[in-house]
Amino acid sequence: MSDKPEKTSDKHYEDKFEFPLWKLIQDRAEEKGISYAKAAPAVVAEYSKTIKYRDPEFEDKVIMARAEELNELGKKEEKLGIKFKDKKSK
Amino acid sequence: MTDDLTEIADEVIETDVLMIGGGVGGCCAVAKAKENGLDVTLIEKAHIDRSGSAGQGIDHYEGFFTRDGTTTIENVSNEDWRLGRYGVRYPNLNVKYRLYKCQFWVFEQLEKLGVPMRWDDGEPYWIPFPFVGWERRKTGLRVHWTNIKPILGRAVRRSGARILNRTMAIDLLTKDGKVVGATAVNIRTGEFIVIKAKATLIATGKLMRLYNPETPMPWKYKFRYHFCPASSAGDGYALVYRAGGDLVNMDINAWTFRIRDDLTCSYGSFSLNDGVPMKTYTWDGEEIINPNATRYKQLEDEGKTPIYFGFDHFSEDSHKRLEVAFADERMLSFKVAEDRGFNPKTHRYELQDLSPTGFYRVSGIYIDENFRVLRGNKPIEGLYAFGDGSAGGTSGVAGAATGGLLLAEDLPEILQDMDEPEIDISQVEEQKQIALAPLAVEEGVEPLELESAIRDICERYVGMFKSEGKLREGLRRLGSLKDWLGKLSAETPHHITGYLECRNLLDLAEVHIKACIERKETRGNYFRSDYPDIDPDMDGKFFSQRIENGKEIIELREPIPLKPEYLKDAEEEKAELQTADAAS
Repeated sequence: MSDKPEKTSDKHYEDKFEFPLWKLIQDRAEEKGISYAKAAPAVVAEYSKTIKYRDPEFEDKVIMARAEELNELGKKEEKLGIKFKDKKSK
Repeated sequence: MTDDLTEIADEVIETDVLMIGGGVGGCCAVAKAKENGLDVTLIEKAHIDRSGSAGQGIDHYEGFFTRDGTTTIENVSNEDWRLGRYGVRYPNLNVKYRLYKCQFWVFEQLEKLGVPMRWDDGEPYWIPFPFVGWERRKTGLRVHWTNIKPILGRAVRRSGARILNRTMAIDLLTKDGKVVGATAVNIRTGEFIVIKAKATLIATGKLMRLYNPETPMPWKYKFRYHFCPASSAGDGYALVYRAGGDLVNMDINAWTFRIRDDLTCSYGSFSLNDGVPMKTYTWDGEEIINPNATRYKQLEDEGKTPIYFGFDHFSEDSHKRLEVAFADERMLSFKVAEDRGFNPKTHRYELQDLSPTGFYRVSGIYIDENFRVLRGNKPIEGLYAFGDGSAGGTSGVAGAATGGLLLAEDLPEILQDMDEPEIDISQVEEQKQIALAPLAVEEGVEPLELESAIRDICERYVGMFKSEGKLREGLRRLGSLKDWLGKLSAETPHHITGYLECRNLLDLAEVHIKACIERKETRGNYFRSDYPDIDPDMDGKFFSQRIENGKEIIELREPIPLKPEYLKDAEEEKAELQTADAAS
């Protein structure tokens, strides 16, 4: 695998895909004969159970990992002399 | 000229409270005011069930300093410091303090109105906050509010308030320095309405339409603003300004990246992604820290643009959270993304440029902590404002709901000794002529053409990096656009909306440019190419603008500091916390 970052123009062309949650909302709306807006709350409530919202240990781990990446990136930019702070009042 | 209002108006309404704006804030105020036994009339230029910036839903509610309701002086100072990124302070910190102080009361009030503050398991969900070093207790609620507007609409209807949907305010009515109501037009039927009110409340949303939408493709004739474009015309700002109230910080506006592909991925919970920020890339794939305006310019000079947001580093869990955020706040995003192939798992969202956007948080209508609109430092009797259009802390859905509920709670006492309003009939005649004039113009200009010209002036001659010559040229060109207002035509009453919005935008563009001419420095998000440094004499200060005796006044003011009783309250709370911490 190349160490060089991938150029944006080399990939990420638009491609066909489906959002699983959107499919579920549309299916429920069709099944019940109601609008997407009316179908959404019940579907979202069920879908949310598959997400680790109530696992603060998991969340903290993910957040801290990303925060650490950003810290490192910030230090790298500082070493390159990139340090643009907005001028602030006291 | 007749003395009889019923000969001029199609309908004359007398009411205790006139609410102009039926968004989240307006609906909360109306429901509460009715609960408190007042006669209330609500006018909304769209329909309360889906109007305003919450029309498609909301995914987060940012009302809290802390999860336990404490409001120490550090919290308040941190909030004030946080606004430093705009370069200026809140004009009146007491507004923010009062709002944050009662957040758990607001939580209960919203639940009483049927708004789901908790999830299905019966508990609220606190958004985890990103970044190491931040006070992790500061947070907001993650909410599933796809249908918050229909819920509040139902609550308003049940309250028995008088609701006038598809009705747009023309101007406020004033008498001897007081505000005594407003005129309005039904934009379906063309009926002209006069509303006499002891208290007139304004919550018409933020001002964004002086600049192009955040997603400018396909171009300026489409309203691809993230927030509801109808409630982003700054109507309330213009009503207050023409009635002699102060607008503040109209030189300072927020800025954002314009996103070429999908307008929603940088707002609300999305941008925080429940604590996991997006990645930002240069065109050649290098990850960078999200740039500010100065750094973006440098990237352009270095040939590193376009730059992009990406979510491809997200786990499956985070991608599902993004889907839920779409469902909660902007379901249309599902369709936009699927139709265009913008798969968040692989797509890179081009950030087109950094541009000025809305006037809110620190900018807008000058109010005190009782939501009274100020003229100088004195409240205008009979006039109140809250929500995105008010400067100083009632922005966002939390600010709007809290402002509306608190004010409505106070209103019975406020109105107790108030005299019946008296109307100056000449004002009514004048306002009727103004509003209905475009119906008589044949082969005229479409309002959107004039609005595009106003926005073009702000984009080209104001923009991010301002200078004296550009600002003065912009002002000159704006002046020559004013004649075009009389050439606008409205084929049907519906098109009167666009005409009245143009009228408001013309006034506000002039206020904006004149404020920019006055601020001769660079600070925070405010950039003057000809004055690249901070002017220390401007530290903490802000411009207020109003019309007084027919003359435009612009003043440099000091912010109103925290009241001694609030300061004492915050410090006592801090002392209690310290005692509790020591004991545990």
